[in-house]
Amino acid sequence: MWDDDLVPTTLLIVDDHPGFRRFARKLLEAAGFSVVGDAEDGASAIAAVRALRPDVVLLDVLLPDTTGFAIARQLAAGQERPLVVLTSSRSASDLGELIGTANARGFITKSELTVAALAALLSEAA
Amino acid sequence: MRTVRLVVWAMGAALCATLFVGAIRGDKLSAGKASFAYAGALVAISVGVGVWRRRPESRTGILLTALPFAFVLPDLWPVFPRSTLAVTVTLAASWLAAPILAHVVLSYPTGWLSSKVERGLVAAAYVFALVYALPLLLFYDPRSPRYGDVIHGSTCPECALPLTHVTWYDVTRTRQLFDWGLSVLAVLFLAVLVRKLMRASPRGRSVVLPLVAAGFFVAAQFVVQIALYHRPVNSWGSSGWFWIVAIAELAIPLALAAGLLWGRTERSAVADLVVELEHTPPGSVRDTLAQALGDPSLELALWLPEQRIYVNRHGEKLELPTATPERAVTMLGPVEAPVAALVHDPALLERRALLGAAGAAARLALENERLHAELRRQLEEVRASRARIVHAGDEERRRLERNLHDGAQQRLLGLGLALQLARRQLGAEANGTVELLAEAEGELRAALDELRELARGIHPAILTDQGLGPALQSLAERSTVPVTILAVPEQRLGEPIEAAAYFLVSESLANVAKYAHASTIRVTITWRDGEAIVEIADDGVGGADPARGSGLRGLTDRVQALGGTLSVESPPDGGTRIRAEIPCAS
Repeated sequence: MWDDDLVPTTLLIVDDHPGFRRFARKLLEAAGFSVVGDAEDGASAIAAVRALRPDVVLLDVLLPDTTGFAIARQLAAGQERPLVVLTSSRSASDLGELIGTANARGFITKSELTVAALAALLSEAA
Repeated sequence: MRTVRLVVWAMGAALCATLFVGAIRGDKLSAGKASFAYAGALVAISVGVGVWRRRPESRTGILLTALPFAFVLPDLWPVFPRSTLAVTVTLAASWLAAPILAHVVLSYPTGWLSSKVERGLVAAAYVFALVYALPLLLFYDPRSPRYGDVIHGSTCPECALPLTHVTWYDVTRTRQLFDWGLSVLAVLFLAVLVRKLMRASPRGRSVVLPLVAAGFFVAAQFVVQIALYHRPVNSWGSSGWFWIVAIAELAIPLALAAGLLWGRTERSAVADLVVELEHTPPGSVRDTLAQALGDPSLELALWLPEQRIYVNRHGEKLELPTATPERAVTMLGPVEAPVAALVHDPALLERRALLGAAGAAARLALENERLHAELRRQLEEVRASRARIVHAGDEERRRLERNLHDGAQQRLLGLGLALQLARRQLGAEANGTVELLAEAEGELRAALDELRELARGIHPAILTDQGLGPALQSLAERSTVPVTILAVPEQRLGEPIEAAAYFLVSESLANVAKYAHASTIRVTITWRDGEAIVEIADDGVGGADPARGSGLRGLTDRVQALGGTLSVESPPDGGTRIRAEIPCAS
């Protein structure tokens, strides 16, 4: 199976909806990811990345204080440079060209977010 | 007042008779000349008193009565060279006719000097006459050898008023100075007369023309005298000049009186106003009133009784100023229910009768004007409220979209993750349940897609976040008929315009997909001269009816609410072209 091949990966979840954070953490941990933390807005996301140095950041596009695109660019310019996977309840076509310019590994619509989809995106990256 | 007029007339008659008899007895003038001069003066005095009686509220009558006195009084000394009184009166009245003449001509026909230039000129003429007469009365000795050309008799009496006689007072030199000064004033007077004529309305011009012509004649003949002889002529010594001067003295009061007695007065200004108002289009009553009242600064404030406010002719609210020395306010109509208020030059307050009559004459036109202003105001309110309703609708849609996104959508997404987790945790043990869960996830995904579609239809987040270009691109990508976006302005156009343009394109794309059987759609949005132009053209079957379907109707409303226009061209087999022009002013 796909998750047996997976190298243990540390992961940070950034989303302003606590329900989503809770279920995503449970699901991804069950799939073998090591979820090292979560953050509810852009500022705490940046702080968490510096403190926890995750391999992957699952980053919501719409945050209360900024956008996931801005955070992704900021992370790409920093030292840690985790892989960023953008996600949103909106579809890619609703977000337009911003996804392509955000220095992210990829984008998954939340309704399409499965362990398989995330793993595929990450392995493609590796 | 009646007695005063009677006494004045009697004094005039006595003066003219005295001068007539004195001139003939002293052999100063021929009988014909004396008759013409003094009978003419008496006629002029009679006319003046008549005007005074008829229009007691105006100064014109008094001035008209005073003018012939001022013309003939200086004749006293030449006629009675030995009389101390005659000398004194002649010196005092030397130039009195000039300011009175300027005053009566320039204030005609209302009796009031309407401009600063006119007031200044008349005041200068009065000061001039006083400054000329005073030194003569106080310091001058008519018996002095310097008396020169003014001497009329060999034995000269003293002036009645001298304080002291001074030998240095050179009357000839002083007179020359004053003659030249007076001719300068006369030229100015001519210029102001021309100005008065130019400024008058066509009807007003015909009223003032005879008088202006007479005034012109008098002032011009004086200027000619100065230019030719460097001093006023002694008209008694020259037959030609005698008649010119005598006719001039008579022409003015007769021209004036004729005009006034023919009723070309304030009443005729009001009559003119009534005729003018017949042809005054709505919105121009102020201009007509301003002309009739002779106050270009006039402002008209129309009273709207329901709103209890004053508005201008455009229906915009006005605050009445408090009365100041510069501005006065007069209410028209009954106190408890005014029709309008006039904000005007305080000089008009002196002519209350005219103001009242003009207000009464304009009553109907003002009512009409008021209704128009009210209508304009209501239209403006409707326009504003329509724009507000559209804006509020957009706001509400945005809020709804946000609520869907933050609420139900997020819970369902969480639920989807929970189902995934449950499926994982069940593992291979419960095959049937896993399949069921997978099916539930599929349903949930479909529900989420529909919900997202719904939210996007309510209000596209991409439009708010990124603007028209990306939003249209997103629309184009989802369209079943290929869309080419030819142009979209780079800059943001403001929420209402962007929303209108977006929904117009969105609705049109949906219509094309449903009815047009088109193979391609072209979308062009340009921004020119503060106006957004949105065009959507397809190559389908055409024949679209803008009246059919509520979608396009609603979009027309939306565009019109922003002050724009929407047109649909859809000939059969000719494709459909929708074009909206939306101004940015809203």
